[in-house]
Amino acid sequence: MFIAFYHVPFNKRISMTNIENQIFSSYQRNPELYDEIYDKNGKIKEVYQKLFKLYGEHSIIDYVSLNNKAKSSFFNQGITFQVYGDNNVQEKIFPFDLFPRIIDPVDWDIIERGSIQRSKALNLFLWDIYHDKKILKDKVVPIDLITSSANYLDQMNGVNPPGGIYNHISGTDVIKHKDGKYYVLEDNIRCPSGVSYVICNRTALKKALFGVFNHYQTHTVTNYAENLLELLESVKPKGVDIPNVVVITPGMYNSAFYEHSYLAKTMGVELVEGRDLFVENDFVYMKTIKGPERVDVIYRRIDDQFIDPLEFNPDSVLGVPGLFAAYKKGNVTLANAPGTGVADDKAVYTYMPKIIKYYLDEEPILNNVHTYHCSRPDELQYVLDHIHELVIKPVDEAGGYGISIGNKLTKAEIEKVKAEVKANPRKYVAQPIMSLSVHPTYIDDTESFEQRHVDLRTFTVLGKDKEFVLKGGLTRVALKRGNLIVNSSQGGGSKDTWVLKK
Amino acid sequence: MPREFEITYNAENVYDDWVHDAHWQFLIIPVENESQYEVEIEFENSLFAHTEESINGFGFKTLRIHPKKKFKKITFEAKFKFKKEEVDPYNFYINPDISIAYNEMQSLDFKITHERYLKFTSFTTLDSEQKGLFKFNNSISIFDNLEALNHWVFEYIKFTTGVTEVGTPLKDVIFEKKGVCQDFAHLFAALARINGVPTRYVSGYLDQESGYMGDSQMHAWVEAFVPGIGWKGFDPTNNILANTNHIKVCHGKDYNDCAPLKGIIHSHGKHKTVHSVSVESQQ
Amino acid sequence: MLARVANNLFWMGRYIERSEHVARYLNVNYFSSLDAPNLKSQDRQFVLRSMLFMVGDPEKDAKKNLKEEDVLYKIGLDPTYGASIISNIKFARENANSARDLISTELYEAINKFYHFVINYPKEIFVKNGLHDFTTHVAEMTDILRGKIRGTLLHDATYAVISMGINIERATQITRMINAKYNDALLSQDGENDRFSKSFEWTTLLKCAESYDMMRRFYKKTPTSISTLEFLILNPNCPRSVMNSLNQVNQHVKMLNPEKRYNKDSTAFLIGRVRSEYEFKYIEEIDKDIKSFIENILRSLVDISDKVDEEFFNY
Repeated sequence: MFIAFYHVPFNKRISMTNIENQIFSSYQRNPELYDEIYDKNGKIKEVYQKLFKLYGEHSIIDYVSLNNKAKSSFFNQGITFQVYGDNNVQEKIFPFDLFPRIIDPVDWDIIERGSIQRSKALNLFLWDIYHDKKILKDKVVPIDLITSSANYLDQMNGVNPPGGIYNHISGTDVIKHKDGKYYVLEDNIRCPSGVSYVICNRTALKKALFGVFNHYQTHTVTNYAENLLELLESVKPKGVDIPNVVVITPGMYNSAFYEHSYLAKTMGVELVEGRDLFVENDFVYMKTIKGPERVDVIYRRIDDQFIDPLEFNPDSVLGVPGLFAAYKKGNVTLANAPGTGVADDKAVYTYMPKIIKYYLDEEPILNNVHTYHCSRPDELQYVLDHIHELVIKPVDEAGGYGISIGNKLTKAEIEKVKAEVKANPRKYVAQPIMSLSVHPTYIDDTESFEQRHVDLRTFTVLGKDKEFVLKGGLTRVALKRGNLIVNSSQGGGSKDTWVLKK
Repeated sequence: MPREFEITYNAENVYDDWVHDAHWQFLIIPVENESQYEVEIEFENSLFAHTEESINGFGFKTLRIHPKKKFKKITFEAKFKFKKEEVDPYNFYINPDISIAYNEMQSLDFKITHERYLKFTSFTTLDSEQKGLFKFNNSISIFDNLEALNHWVFEYIKFTTGVTEVGTPLKDVIFEKKGVCQDFAHLFAALARINGVPTRYVSGYLDQESGYMGDSQMHAWVEAFVPGIGWKGFDPTNNILANTNHIKVCHGKDYNDCAPLKGIIHSHGKHKTVHSVSVESQQ
Repeated sequence: MLARVANNLFWMGRYIERSEHVARYLNVNYFSSLDAPNLKSQDRQFVLRSMLFMVGDPEKDAKKNLKEEDVLYKIGLDPTYGASIISNIKFARENANSARDLISTELYEAINKFYHFVINYPKEIFVKNGLHDFTTHVAEMTDILRGKIRGTLLHDATYAVISMGINIERATQITRMINAKYNDALLSQDGENDRFSKSFEWTTLLKCAESYDMMRRFYKKTPTSISTLEFLILNPNCPRSVMNSLNQVNQHVKMLNPEKRYNKDSTAFLIGRVRSEYEFKYIEEIDKDIKSFIENILRSLVDISDKVDEEFFNY
């Protein structure tokens, strides 16, 4: 499964022939890559044919103008993030592509069932490691997975979160490999973000190219907020009749602030900051114009370490003093529960097939990428010998930071990575370089469609007797040619994702 | 006959500038257990701010204050009255077959059950060359080894105030060989954990009438889990086992889990904090 | 509604309203002075000083020769000057940002467009020949915002808080304009034919308040000091009058606090008290001592704003 994928000489690349389609006429297809819109025989997949034809009716000039309009719509709506320059703050939009990705019902079924399976297994895993720790005692996963994890919260030992739910909201990053199978790259169960872009992308696409929607039966994505609210209400504290739900944000300078405000607005609940809340006698209140009002459920978009300066990081000004005590007493629900971070550690990821089997007695529906643990001496040696064909990842960083892709490193860089891994083996895992599938993507600079690597983040909501996967998800695109890292913090863009009805 | 204790805890905080928003959390109430009971709490502050009782993330009782008006100075006084049974620290039985306990300590279940007190924290991490400072002798019991460790730490560090502070890393303490009760406790915990014994840091009060070392502040010692016996208290600052004079407040992995006073204060400028503790007892 | 967010919305309303009044003051004074009937009112220095006076930053050095481009840039587009139009709009948007979940997408989008229009407006064009275009656009955008506020928000506490901000600011700005024009009318008296009461400045004032046409319709005479002040201060049917603004504030505070109980410490009580002071006043009583009146009403408006802050934003 070691694939070097852009060593293909240019003359071997094929242009699409026999298409009168001027918009795609210059599309260069590298046959070594898995292109989402082609089938095995090099024909355009049935689900894409209609779309391909419809887009082909446009000239590239039409397309450029639509693309610009969509961009300014994002800009006017303030769906932006801020870039801090030397002496001014610039606002930028997340790059967005008007050519949607289509997932057929058969593929979606796998993704949806797979996402739910993982979320459930992770939830059971979290319950277990904060209670009886059976999975450790049965030697399915090693004890140092929790003893050496900075995200394992001792304070959560023995705590029963309402409804037994830890990871209410999970973001699962899925890719399609060259073999045509789906693999999970990461589970995000702290504060996964991006769901608001799923909805914005859909809205923008509908405005720009409303005609294409008539030809497809696509699942809606606008029902996320109602499902999220229903979930949050389902895990209310004991004794509360109609719970008061809020979303807590680090504030308007946070890069995901738009999403926080979007979720609060569409759920119709208050968006609060730490300073709007206070704790009295272990109950949480918000400061309103009519005085204090009790808060029962908090969808928190603040990391564990910052939620309560009296219990965790004392320097945090984002959190609420006394919040954790109120939580532990059962007077308020936090979603996701504190301490979930231990399970989206990349070291835990590698045990996911075993974890699924252990708790659910099922085979994993979505594949895991084989992972080498640098903490194991024999695997460490293999990693050190094969860095040029591996991806080296720190176990506890999110957002695509600290990743080294072996076949892109110079000799000197390889030595540097080797030294770093040798010094902190527990901090790193390695995986074979996966060949993420590619998808035609409009590229501003060349004003044409080119192949770009994509992944998919699905959003799973897990409640008391409730599970829901948003039928769509965020297709992230690595905009730099050949780049594999799709995170928006690393210059990635996104696409609207259509899940077709059966 | 239980002894009756009365503990007075005083703290005074003075700030250069007005403080508009402040939260304090005190972790100073004697814990109720089989030897300490009927704890009565009186707590006052100079601003007459409302006192809340709560329970922290590790299950220990706390007192919290959040004054509603601005101030430059605040004083706190806590009084605790309670009863305490005489503790005979040597009242236990050691199985003559000491290998049973050593074997139990090696088992995975034991390591999982006690993982919290076996892991190394920022306060209990040793450099690789320091890890061998104290090695257990497997021909004597775990308890005997711990008593030897207690003695070793007592001999190794000279009780000196003003050399170390709350954030001083253990390796500096080892280098200086000077420190206060927290440093004794952290060194004991680190070395006991290296030898596989779950050890917890204990924060509390010490009745100094009996001439023990410490200062007029809170005291720190450790509890180690000995298979077949249970948790035993060791006070390496005084080279003794914890006894009736040791009044426990709480335990944790290290000082961070047990800090007697946490404050979240939004203010500019400097501030000064003074604590004092007095312990009185009568039969 | 969260107290902090209410505070932000209140100030969003105030900054929107403030930017409009400053823009119109620049526009009307600049252009009506070009062909004013007397020399003083035509004088560039006189007009520029009036503009600085109105934004609360009067030039103290009587001999200083002000440069038109500098003054226009400062009040219009200087991002480092807190009272400039661009700063007002920045503050309005910043306040809207933190209350984004409470206001409609339409309103937010309009504010955002407004903001981008202003920050992207080229400085050179503005100071050379863009004044009319820019200030008219600003005034129109604020109209759109008020339309979105009225037409897309639920008429609940959110709406009431924003409206209170708008109306307190409107009363304040109208009073400030009266103050500035009163000052101008005093300064521009230069002959028998142009006495204070018939000053050209009263017409300018009415135009600054977009009330000239309606005033003419109501009095059917050339504006004088008395009729202008009566119209802009006491006439409750003039939508820009101080009286009308106080009535609006009174109505909206009741949405926030419908309680009818006697409470002399409440905002509603204070607003009612200020309002009733002007409801049955003769303009002649004000005309006798305009300066004290202006000081009084500004003080009352500050008191009301402080009271709102204390009662609703400061739990």
